[in-house]
Amino acid sequence: MQLKDKSKKIRRSLTAATCSLLGISTTDTPAEEGDWEFDSAVLYYSEVDRVSAIEPVITAKREFSDEKSLNLKLVFDALTGASANGATPSDQPQTFTKPSGEGSYTASANETPLDDTFKDFRMAFSSQWDQPLNRDYKASLGGNFSTEYDYLSLSVNGSLSRDFNKRNTTLSVGISLAHDTISPDGDLPVGFSSMVIDTGQAGFEDDFDATREGSEDTKTTLDLIFGLTQVIDQHTVMQLSYSISDSSGYLTDPFKILSVVGSDGRPVDYRYEKRPDSRNKQGLYWQTKHHFSKDILDISYRFFWDDWDITSHTLDLRYRWMLGGQQYLEPHFRYYSQSEADFYRRFLVDGDVLPDYASADYRLGELTGITLGLKYGFKLANEQELSMRLEYYLQSGDSPDGNAPGILSDMELFPDVEAIILQFNYAF
Amino acid sequence: MTRLTRLEEADGYWQGRFQAMASPCEIFMEVDEASSANRLLQIAADEAWRIEKKFSRYKKDNLVYRINNSSGAPAKVDDETAHLLDFAQQCWELSDGLFDITSGVLRRVWRFDGGSHIPDEAAVKALLPYVGWQHVNWSRPFFTLPQGMEIDFGGIGKEYAVDRTLLCLQEVTDAGLLVNFGGDIHAGRRKKDAGAWSIGIENPNQPDSANGILKIHQGALATSGDARRFLLRDGKRYGHVMNPKTGWPIENAPRSVTVAADTCTEAGVLATLALLHGEDAETFLKGQAVQYWLND
Repeated sequence: MQLKDKSKKIRRSLTAATCSLLGISTTDTPAEEGDWEFDSAVLYYSEVDRVSAIEPVITAKREFSDEKSLNLKLVFDALTGASANGATPSDQPQTFTKPSGEGSYTASANETPLDDTFKDFRMAFSSQWDQPLNRDYKASLGGNFSTEYDYLSLSVNGSLSRDFNKRNTTLSVGISLAHDTISPDGDLPVGFSSMVIDTGQAGFEDDFDATREGSEDTKTTLDLIFGLTQVIDQHTVMQLSYSISDSSGYLTDPFKILSVVGSDGRPVDYRYEKRPDSRNKQGLYWQTKHHFSKDILDISYRFFWDDWDITSHTLDLRYRWMLGGQQYLEPHFRYYSQSEADFYRRFLVDGDVLPDYASADYRLGELTGITLGLKYGFKLANEQELSMRLEYYLQSGDSPDGNAPGILSDMELFPDVEAIILQFNYAF
Repeated sequence: MTRLTRLEEADGYWQGRFQAMASPCEIFMEVDEASSANRLLQIAADEAWRIEKKFSRYKKDNLVYRINNSSGAPAKVDDETAHLLDFAQQCWELSDGLFDITSGVLRRVWRFDGGSHIPDEAAVKALLPYVGWQHVNWSRPFFTLPQGMEIDFGGIGKEYAVDRTLLCLQEVTDAGLLVNFGGDIHAGRRKKDAGAWSIGIENPNQPDSANGILKIHQGALATSGDARRFLLRDGKRYGHVMNPKTGWPIENAPRSVTVAADTCTEAGVLATLALLHGEDAETFLKGQAVQYWLND
């Protein structure tokens, strides 16, 4: 009997000793520093009759010992297609000078004028280093570089976070400083100057040059973000953040114009838009993720306001539905609504005094956007993951246009924008 | 040492082979692509070879060699070695001194080569002062071994390597895996509906024929006792498991014991402890609430 009791004790102690040997020693192996993890994706974005973009992205992450990690990201963007130039449609064909001043493009009667010279290639690279400072504090430092044919953006950022309450609560503060340079082909237009149309007149080039001021300008943006992450229970985590962003410099879109229309609604002139040279944005963001036994619900809401008088609401819902065999389906719904900027004008009226600022960019008007999407992903052997995402985006502009003069009352001044987004993702 | 690996496709899985720790090593991998299988096989072989190199008493450039030639001076050891020394100490305590990694010194007089040479009692007795964990001083991270003594992780090294190799592979894949180093086996869970792994158990009287087929879903098997390592003298068979207290082989022990447990290391220690209990091997095993197979 004594032997049996003693034997039992051996088994339990031996199991504990073995677990200790294997459990702890797994962290002592030479393979402690992880390999690079790669994530690659190709995103295809296509607006109906407008811009299409193809965007390959590759990210690489390497974790080092002591929870240090390095993230690198490289993005290529190829944009082609047409973008609304801001002018109103008319019952006659309309001719516009290309932003470069070299040549023109034409919009047919009753069609929203689109600038089809829009073609660009963007390359962006970012890197981020994260590391804990001690048990409670973590720091992160990063830099971004992005370049286009006529645009260069450089930024640096840093953040500091502190864990409280057995790591159930995290407070963080982040700062980012960005410096952008724009140098469009054909130089920057003088705000509110009239577009000169080349009708074969002798002095076109001089007239065009008179609408230009400087070959480049810059913009500086300072962002601050304060965040709180709270673990609610073992299945739920909630995040709250407040952000404030201050931009100053050249905030105008040099490719956008406004139609100056007569009382019949027909254009008598096109003027280059002009925006204020500073913008202050603030935002509040709330996100909650909940893990059910298998599925994951991700819900977020953002409230945004700025001193251009735009306020917006964004509601985003994702539900990851785990199917068997390492597969999942993730439906996505997003609702976005914004009010218009105080200087937004769909058009200017001939004879009226010019406002201080004006833009007909539909992205500054009142609009509603809805995204419906579905993502399907599955894990392959060796931790590799393949996923694809298909989304449909519908944007409706609905600024009040009750007093559109003449022919404009019959025109579609706020056409819907529809887009299809297709993304393939491969993580290895 | 040959540093070769071989990969073959079988029905629904890949089988990789290499040689390590004087044993044929096999890895069964339920992956689709040869490239994945080959990557896993390299990880497995690298881990097995790493452990062999680090803990083999036959190498002259490792920590075990430095400890065995430290002439009584303290040696500072790394974390992994420290864990193994802790484990060896716990096994020694749990077995009341029967499981002892210092008993390898007795090999100087005992050669289990299937022959009939039995050393004389005086020679055995002369070695006894150099055997016994009670003589060492283990105070992490310093290990002090008296001059003339030796440590040998051979009793747990292969089983430890099996577990470590499976753990290494499981860090990079969810695929069904089975690791078999010379009959010491640890199997991870197979794919759904794939059923159990089938493993043949060797009959010690006919070493090259399978004695039975064992079905295992997940878990480990280890065998102690060696059909090939014994001495035969005057009709009496001396198995190679030594009693460190007497310096003589354990008498009336089963030829081999196979134990199933959650890890190969635990199964291996239980099997060895069973042999150290001699004719009470089965009584000991019954007390452990484990599955076991004896070959008398």
